[in-house]
Amino acid sequence: MIPFDFEYYRPASIASAIDTFQQLDAAGKQPLYYGGGTEIISMGRMNNLKTGPVIDLKDLADCKVMEFQQDQLVIGSSVTLTQIHEANLFPLLAQAGARIADHTIQNKITLGGNLCGTIIYKEAVLPLLLSDSLVSIAGPGGERTIPINSIFKERMQLDKGEFVVQIKTDKKYLSYPYVHVKQTKQDKINYPLVTICAMSIGGGIRAAFSGVCDFPFRSTAMESELNNHALTLEERIDKAIVLTPGPIPTNLEGSAEYRKFIMKGLLNSIINRLEGSNVSNA
Amino acid sequence: MTFLATGKDIIRKEAWDKVTGRAHYNTDISSPDLMHGVIVTSTCAHGKIKSWDYVEASQMPGVKAILTGDRYPMLTGPIIEDHPPLATGKVRYYGEPIALVVAHSEAEAAAAACKIKIQYEILPTVDNPSAAMSSEAPLVHEYLDQYQHVIPEVYPQANSNVVHKVQIRKGDMNQGWQQSEVIVEASYSQPQADHIAMETRSARAEILPDGDIIIHSSSQSPFAIREFVSQHFGVDLGKVVVHVPLVGGGYGGKAPVQLEYLAVMASQAVGGRPVLITNTREQDISASPSKLSLEAKIKLGASQDGILKAGEYTFMVGTGAYADSGPRMTGSMAMNCTGPYNLDNVWCDAYCVYTNHTYATAFRGFGHSSFTFAVERTMDKLAAALNMDPLELRRKNIIKPGATSPTQVKLTLSNLGDVAQCLDKVEKLINWNEGTRFELDNNRVRAKGLGCLWKTSHSPTDAIAAAIVSFNSDGSMNLNVGAVEIGPATKTTLAQILAEKMQVDINKVHVAMEVNTRTSPHHWKTVASMSIFMVGRAVEEAANDAIRQILSLAAMAMMCSPEDLSLGQEQVYVKDDPGIYIDLASIVHGYKYPNGNTVGSQVIGRGTYVMPHLSPLDQETGQGKPGPYWTPGAQAVEIELNMADFTYKILRAATVLDAGKVINPKSAKGVVMGGMSMGLGLGSREYFIYDQQQALQNTSLRTYKVLRIGEEPEYLVDWVETPNANAPLGARGIGEHGIVAIHAALANALSRAAQVELDQLPILPELIWQKIEEKKA
Repeated sequence: MIPFDFEYYRPASIASAIDTFQQLDAAGKQPLYYGGGTEIISMGRMNNLKTGPVIDLKDLADCKVMEFQQDQLVIGSSVTLTQIHEANLFPLLAQAGARIADHTIQNKITLGGNLCGTIIYKEAVLPLLLSDSLVSIAGPGGERTIPINSIFKERMQLDKGEFVVQIKTDKKYLSYPYVHVKQTKQDKINYPLVTICAMSIGGGIRAAFSGVCDFPFRSTAMESELNNHALTLEERIDKAIVLTPGPIPTNLEGSAEYRKFIMKGLLNSIINRLEGSNVSNA
Repeated sequence: MTFLATGKDIIRKEAWDKVTGRAHYNTDISSPDLMHGVIVTSTCAHGKIKSWDYVEASQMPGVKAILTGDRYPMLTGPIIEDHPPLATGKVRYYGEPIALVVAHSEAEAAAAACKIKIQYEILPTVDNPSAAMSSEAPLVHEYLDQYQHVIPEVYPQANSNVVHKVQIRKGDMNQGWQQSEVIVEASYSQPQADHIAMETRSARAEILPDGDIIIHSSSQSPFAIREFVSQHFGVDLGKVVVHVPLVGGGYGGKAPVQLEYLAVMASQAVGGRPVLITNTREQDISASPSKLSLEAKIKLGASQDGILKAGEYTFMVGTGAYADSGPRMTGSMAMNCTGPYNLDNVWCDAYCVYTNHTYATAFRGFGHSSFTFAVERTMDKLAAALNMDPLELRRKNIIKPGATSPTQVKLTLSNLGDVAQCLDKVEKLINWNEGTRFELDNNRVRAKGLGCLWKTSHSPTDAIAAAIVSFNSDGSMNLNVGAVEIGPATKTTLAQILAEKMQVDINKVHVAMEVNTRTSPHHWKTVASMSIFMVGRAVEEAANDAIRQILSLAAMAMMCSPEDLSLGQEQVYVKDDPGIYIDLASIVHGYKYPNGNTVGSQVIGRGTYVMPHLSPLDQETGQGKPGPYWTPGAQAVEIELNMADFTYKILRAATVLDAGKVINPKSAKGVVMGGMSMGLGLGSREYFIYDQQQALQNTSLRTYKVLRIGEEPEYLVDWVETPNANAPLGARGIGEHGIVAIHAALANALSRAAQVELDQLPILPELIWQKIEEKKA
């Protein structure tokens, strides 16, 4: 039971959503945009979150699309992880999204919600970081489209009043060889110890990580080491691991030392798979 | 020709109601005047309550009362009275209820509960059982020596955290050690865990103008609720009425009385209006009681040829912040401490100690799963030291009729069962003889592990049960017992016993699913895997009583002697000529002659049962007879371990129990599988995680993990049937036993696979990795 009252708005258009936000904000009410609402419900019922008015984006037409538009796959921010998995238009994203939570929750978690929420894992962002996806954003200052690698730094760096409308991915990324692995403490359905999404493009490997720091990331510095064929595989991995953009945590899922051990093993198997494979999908 | 209702896979009586969602549980009934109570819980694990601020809360809409412990200083507990329903003066565990908000709706109560502010003066915490026993330990209960004892057999040590001690002294330890050519010794630790019943706990109370207190609860102990509420609220026993409908799982966690006190207090505060309190999952885990924790040390000595000569067992049982049934569980562990092995020389010191954690109560196995883990790991270590196959070591030492238990009960085939046959059968089920460790490709190792078990109950010696059978005018009958249906199909199994005695189809036996303490006959508590045993005996006696009345009445109708008659197919017939018969329907409400005169009256069968010859444990030696019989068994697990990352799959899990007589094979198999599932959960992932301040970290199902569909092994269940002479149809209790040794078998399998000693729970891949790293260093 969420033990406090809050206002709920369900705008029918992007303009109306922004308008509603600005009015509520001007009245000092601290509005929030949301998609599936799983974080609000989970934290709200434990009184770990007190929210002002919420603005439900699920009716916005542009936020619901999942289709190819010329050379891009366009996925709206209100599309759920289950919908992405079942359509399987972007297999790496479908797989990453299908291991985030249990099926019931994945029916509600939206792509936008996983990218912009408070959870530190945000595993749905990993395939997007690898695929140079574009994020189209709406807000009081108008609409803009920006590469995700520019706007996602530890989290989505949105301005006040902005929200994600769509993610656009060039379809060539959808057919590169890829791997998704997720290692947990014990149970299949759990937060990650380490989640890695990797892609092989023109003989080079890109890798994005969740659980390894307190935020998801892709590091070109790490990729440089991983792709340095002058070294042995073990050396490449060892050099890459010390370049994580933040400290490796010890938390309820496991210790930092164990995480490092797991990461080494996973990177080893990922690189073998991608360097051993041809152009076909992994 | 006898009609059989037992040994059959009868689907449970309430099956359709449960699977369609129509079954009624405690919070499914609402009434227009129902109010709601929401508990406020402590965020401090050990502290003095310095101040309250509930001014804002009390002014919120819908709020009718706010209760705090200072106004309710009563102390409760089933063995020692150490437990105020709301924290009074100090808090002793993270999650302890400290206030209760009563409002018109749950939302209003919850909103106000958030506004209550409490200040604590933080005290140093007692973090685990061994810390509790140190002489410098802070005291969880400063006034331990002043608490009332509900039973005389509890021995708290003043100015300490020791609330009870049990000793076993059997044989001659010096002689035993002298005869031991090989000795192994090891220490084990197991954390607390939770019952995770599908239905969280709830209680509703109202106080009628005529003085009756009406309680509805999801409980295993309606009669204990009645007794304790009567005592603590000063109301005549007969004026407290407790209703328990179907219960969505208990596992021991619904045996104690907790929310019921709060519901009565809440109702008193609002002029007797009904008030419902329902635990959220988080409260069910942290505020309501859990499973005990254990630190154990075991030393076993054996001759070179593998015969056990001496066993020394030290158990430090963590009962959390309040004792509840901790002392009784400590006794249970001591009395069976050896496991089902023959040992002439036994020394056990078992301490029940307080810690600043959620208090512990009965949990499936009543302590047996905890000490059995330690015993079975030690048996494997002994086998390794002797260079002997672990199954052979167990086989050589299996306890047999003629020997004595640790509490010196003389064992017979009837009261012990056949442990050796259980071991033989599990050996075949898991195919032990093909080998127990195989290295496969891709870094995988497949291995097997084993564990034996035995369990007996540890009830009060005057625990009673009864059954009432009444009849309907069509000859069908109604069964009314005091045992609650918490999930193992108890009521259906009892109906099978009755149907067979009365020689009627199972559909002619209607069972009252609800227990109502004003109309159901008294039943001790629905615990200890004793319901079929105790209530089954009572049902048999009630059936015999009813049959006597029926035959006596039929004899009048059929003008012969009752001895000339027999029951069958809903009729009473002349043995010499079954063609001469009368329908039960014509008898059970009296018999009317053709001329209209009526004799007799309705048939009502009564049966009762109390266990004979039980005695408490002697304080010095532990000698005594705590339970009527043992149910023994053997379990095995096969796993596949990935040596690259230490993840593992549980492939197969097997259990063979000596059930005496299997009354409902499918439901019996289901109950054993359920026990195995819980035990594998304890072995692989279920545990309470505390931070440095002893705040419980994993209070929801996102962070307290249980085995899910798709992660379960192939379950194998088989039976031995050595009847117990006192049991209905010879049937031994089996409800809990699937849990008792299965995590030990898992640990034995994983230790064998990884070739390290895994002596703590749960066994996470990181633990295996850590042990392997330690071994390399």
